[in-house]
Amino acid sequence: MRNRSWCFALLLYFAFCSRIEAFKFHRTQQTERISGSAGDVLEDNPVGRLKVFVYELPSKYNKKILQKDPRCLTHMFAAEIFMHRFLMSSPVRTLNPEEADWFYTPVYTTCDLTPNGLPLPFKSPRMMRSAIQLISSNWPYWNRTEGADHFFIVPHDFAACFHYLEEKAIERGILPMLQRATLVQTFGQQNHVCLKDGSIIIPPYAPPQKMQAHLIPPSTPRSIFVYFRGLFYDVGNDPEGGYYARGARASVWENFKDNPLFDISTEHPTTYYEDMQRAVFCLCPLGWAPWSPRLVEAVIFGCIPVIIADDIVLPFADAIPWEDIGVFVAEKDVPKLDTILTSIPIDEILRKQRLLANPSMKQAMLFPQPAQERDAFHQILNGLARKLPHDESVYLKPGEKILNWTAGPVGDLKPW
Amino acid sequence: MKQLAALQQQARRSNSFRSASSPSDSASDASIKSPATIFWLIIHGICCLISLVLGFRFSRLLFFLLFSTSSSPPATIYSALKTTLPSSAAVSPPERNASAASGGSRVVVGRHGILIRPWPHPDPAEVMKAHKIIERVQTEQRSQYGVKSPRTVIAITPTYVRTFQTLHLTGVMHSLMNVPYDLVWIVVEAGGTTNETASLISKSGLNTIHIGFDGRMPVLWEDRHKLESKMRLHGLRVVREKKLDGIVMFADDSNMHSLELFDEIQNVEWVGAVSVGILAHSVGSEEGESTMVQSDNRKNDLEKSEMPVQGPACNSSNHLVGWHTFNTLPFVEKSAIYIGHRAVVLPKKLEWAGFVLNSRLVWEDSTERLDWVKEFEEVLRGGEDVESPLSLLKDASMVEPLGSCGRRVMLWWLRVEARADSKFPARWIIDPPLDITVPAKHTPWPDTPPELPSSVEKVEKVITIPENTERRATKGGSRRKRRSKKKRTAK
Amino acid sequence: MGSMERSKKKVHLLKKGIFHFLLCFVMGFFTGFTPTNKASTFSSRVTMSLPSSYSPQPIEVFHPSTTQNLNRSVSNDTRPREGQIRNFKKSIIHEERKNEDINPRRLVIVVTPTSTKNKLRGVLLTRLANTLKLVSQPLLWVVVEQKSDDSEVSEILRKTGIMYRHVVFKENFTDVDSEMDHQRNLALNHIEHHRLSGIVHFAGLSNVYDISFFEEIRAIEAFGAWPIARLSPNRKKVIIEGPVCEYSEVMGWHLNRMKDMTDTRTLSIHISNFAFNSSILWDPERWGRTSSVQDTSQNSLEFVRKEVLEEETELKGIPIESCSKVLLWDLHIF
Repeated sequence: MRNRSWCFALLLYFAFCSRIEAFKFHRTQQTERISGSAGDVLEDNPVGRLKVFVYELPSKYNKKILQKDPRCLTHMFAAEIFMHRFLMSSPVRTLNPEEADWFYTPVYTTCDLTPNGLPLPFKSPRMMRSAIQLISSNWPYWNRTEGADHFFIVPHDFAACFHYLEEKAIERGILPMLQRATLVQTFGQQNHVCLKDGSIIIPPYAPPQKMQAHLIPPSTPRSIFVYFRGLFYDVGNDPEGGYYARGARASVWENFKDNPLFDISTEHPTTYYEDMQRAVFCLCPLGWAPWSPRLVEAVIFGCIPVIIADDIVLPFADAIPWEDIGVFVAEKDVPKLDTILTSIPIDEILRKQRLLANPSMKQAMLFPQPAQERDAFHQILNGLARKLPHDESVYLKPGEKILNWTAGPVGDLKPW
Repeated sequence: MKQLAALQQQARRSNSFRSASSPSDSASDASIKSPATIFWLIIHGICCLISLVLGFRFSRLLFFLLFSTSSSPPATIYSALKTTLPSSAAVSPPERNASAASGGSRVVVGRHGILIRPWPHPDPAEVMKAHKIIERVQTEQRSQYGVKSPRTVIAITPTYVRTFQTLHLTGVMHSLMNVPYDLVWIVVEAGGTTNETASLISKSGLNTIHIGFDGRMPVLWEDRHKLESKMRLHGLRVVREKKLDGIVMFADDSNMHSLELFDEIQNVEWVGAVSVGILAHSVGSEEGESTMVQSDNRKNDLEKSEMPVQGPACNSSNHLVGWHTFNTLPFVEKSAIYIGHRAVVLPKKLEWAGFVLNSRLVWEDSTERLDWVKEFEEVLRGGEDVESPLSLLKDASMVEPLGSCGRRVMLWWLRVEARADSKFPARWIIDPPLDITVPAKHTPWPDTPPELPSSVEKVEKVITIPENTERRATKGGSRRKRRSKKKRTAK
Repeated sequence: MGSMERSKKKVHLLKKGIFHFLLCFVMGFFTGFTPTNKASTFSSRVTMSLPSSYSPQPIEVFHPSTTQNLNRSVSNDTRPREGQIRNFKKSIIHEERKNEDINPRRLVIVVTPTSTKNKLRGVLLTRLANTLKLVSQPLLWVVVEQKSDDSEVSEILRKTGIMYRHVVFKENFTDVDSEMDHQRNLALNHIEHHRLSGIVHFAGLSNVYDISFFEEIRAIEAFGAWPIARLSPNRKKVIIEGPVCEYSEVMGWHLNRMKDMTDTRTLSIHISNFAFNSSILWDPERWGRTSSVQDTSQNSLEFVRKEVLEEETELKGIPIESCSKVLLWDLHIF
């Protein structure tokens, strides 16, 4: 009798485990989901809730790099520079490292651009390593936790994996030095080696002034059903096809180029921003990485983002109700995109548009100069503040070492 | 969650199925009907089911490991409506993704298929649904950002039957049909109402009042302007008699409207003025724009400085200081005197079309009597000289300049007519159709685009060819066959 | 019954139980291997509400190196299947139509070239927009203009709420007519590139339409033609050009003498005189033509013009009752 009930319990357990597994990991991502209308968490003011100590590094880690290539200020990864500038004058900054909750290392690892303006992350690991070596030898705080109370801004395609090819990035994994640190990054995909638990996902940088200049009255009738401008095939890097965007963008083109409702093209018109403001849906398919600046543009311009990127982790997902404002389409469902979009009840569409019109949603997507209330800078700080107080386990016992300083490819170990 | 519910339901269903279909199993125990036995039987059943599910899942897992190259993921129970479900549904369960690389990532890296659907591409039904959605979105935008509690628009249009009537009136009609507010269209027809006009305006589906006016349209432009003024006043009398409430505008059939105009005039309180772009039709002559004496010259405010504009002139603090008028000086010699005269047709000093009125201005015993407005009947009795709505006012400075103080032009004036003796087919039905044909085989269309120097206008003597009425002889038998074969829609 | 016997029975029961479990496990195991579509019936409750998930598995195409070739091969691949799937889809559509009053109409593609040389461009574009806004959907307006810093055209278009494509080009032209033809060609290239399917009509800025015109041209199978009235100010004659029909069959043409002479403006008249099914541009084989499409991408307009003349058996008179009613006026000023 006892035997049997035990057996039963076991079976029951297994059966449910296999089902629940699928749901479990979302919970961890969205610990502080806000319910109903947006903005409760977005309204938080981080001032007074945390203190950040900014390491003073030689300017070769930041300012000099920027001087070499000022384009870094306008490309998608500029958040690392603006966050530095913001923290320097932010009220959360403390000059006394003893009272700091978080430590910030201002190092511009992404500011190394090809002539075409594409970032090259090859030197980034060495640079990061060098910066960490510097702070760990000059200050006691790194060694106290081996970086567990430090955060780094790594806005590159595959974040701290520091490679633009996903395959290579996965091979590399997150830089060993940063295993314990909190990463602030644009890259977000579940179950990906380049996404560490507890990372803060931020939107890519989009130029706020430029977007502001292209705003048109919200009364302008929305006359485009689906809008997209960008690559469908990356012939240069993916001549074979099927690697780029996991085939999703190619699928969009092949299935919907002949649909009058799909205003899709590779040509960027001068009216790109205006056109987004008169579109109902804006496609935000993955590219080489799951995120795209279109996400930011769509939210700013009140166009419902249609997110095509399986397992994507969206910026500030714990504060922005992405399911309420966007539409998620699985990559395999791209051929059904028209049906999926037209079968959304109209009230649902109007509700999404109303939520998108919420200024705090837009604000959280931008890195304005100077910083404003509720903008992306503040959301990053909010995210950091929500991680406080630090768990006791972050502090190492005297003499304890967890990080392996010599792990990783040999090339990374060379001095920068 | 849906999935789970479905599973449970399924479990329940097959549970009952099992207990019904396998009585032989329990036959031996059938004699013992104690609740404990039944309980254990149910447990047994549930366990069986669970192992069924487990087996199922296990095999799926194996399936994935074997055919892990991604591409066509299984048609799982995910709904197409990702939006309504929490994000958990939008994300595939981890066991789907085969691990392709080291480091514990379960992300599929590598080549994926490009999915192309085999069913028809723009699905007509989806297209219609999408247009419905767009329509609703636009309606919502209007109700959210548009004019709140709009007033009725009362448009007064003087017209008469002539060659250009259909062309002109259709244009105005289409503007009015697009007005998103209540609208009354008063069409005043010179020489009495005709079926020609009636059938034309009935196409609009608008709320129309079609009235006749005694007096034929004269041939001289000068007389014509006067008669039209009277016709508009006649229209105003209808407004007065019927006590129509709203905003009166004068939509001449020589006007072209931007739809913004109809939103803008909603802002008028009593009398408003908007700028009218003058598209003076001329034969190659330069037309100039100038301001009247009392207005300061502020050409630069006008967006289109090359186009002459008539309307309110404002100072920098947006106060009405005078009127821009069309500079007639260059045209004194060249102005058209009669219909068909090949010269520039000049607008009046101020066209009626540039004014909008609150209809209560012309009401009898209006309670809100304004002391700067003349009594309507007095004006009518006063005589001929009602040149513009300004004649209705004692104090023209009370006029509200609209459209960013006249800087925005939302209304244009283009006065062109055929010669007075011009004829056109009645209701534009060509009857009899054939007196002028050429066999279709020898269609006159040039095979190559003539890249010739554009000749000066010399269409003067263009007449249709009255020479060949022969019908096409061959009907292309073989072609016909092919055509019937190919007869299919492109839906 | 002794305790021995009872425990024996217990063991027996347990054995039987385990046997059943194993049996079910194996059963489940094999169910898992059945094709996925069947598996979805497992959860029929969910899928029933989503007819689209029944749709056949999208076929997989690995695209060859050039996209241009791909487009062709893909469409060739899909065509044979279209029939059966359309039937399948139709049933769904049919069901949906019961709920909503959706009556699919054919797409009308209106092509409007705009030249900065036309001083009235903005005004006339506004007027044409007012008309097109009244046409029942679906309608796609392809407006072409020369690339410039002036946002006049985009601003006018944006405010209309009409679904449009704004095509721009960089080339400079001194001659208006060749510029217009270039613009029309660009629009046709856009239609061809996107394989848009519908009835293409060239609407000049000076055209004025009766709304019913757009409903009439939806009935066109391949080509359609109609009379157009050209009005010029201060003249006596009204010029009507277009086909002469017997019912909807084109028997001949009204024309005017100027055609044979050197009046270049005849081009703009004719261009608004006809409409055609856009599939002629990107799928000429469907129309029984082997004509080399490759050349046409350079000058699609010429190709279309020629086709209209050649294929007069497929030319349909509009409106259908003997094409004697004028639904389109062209005001010639400036």
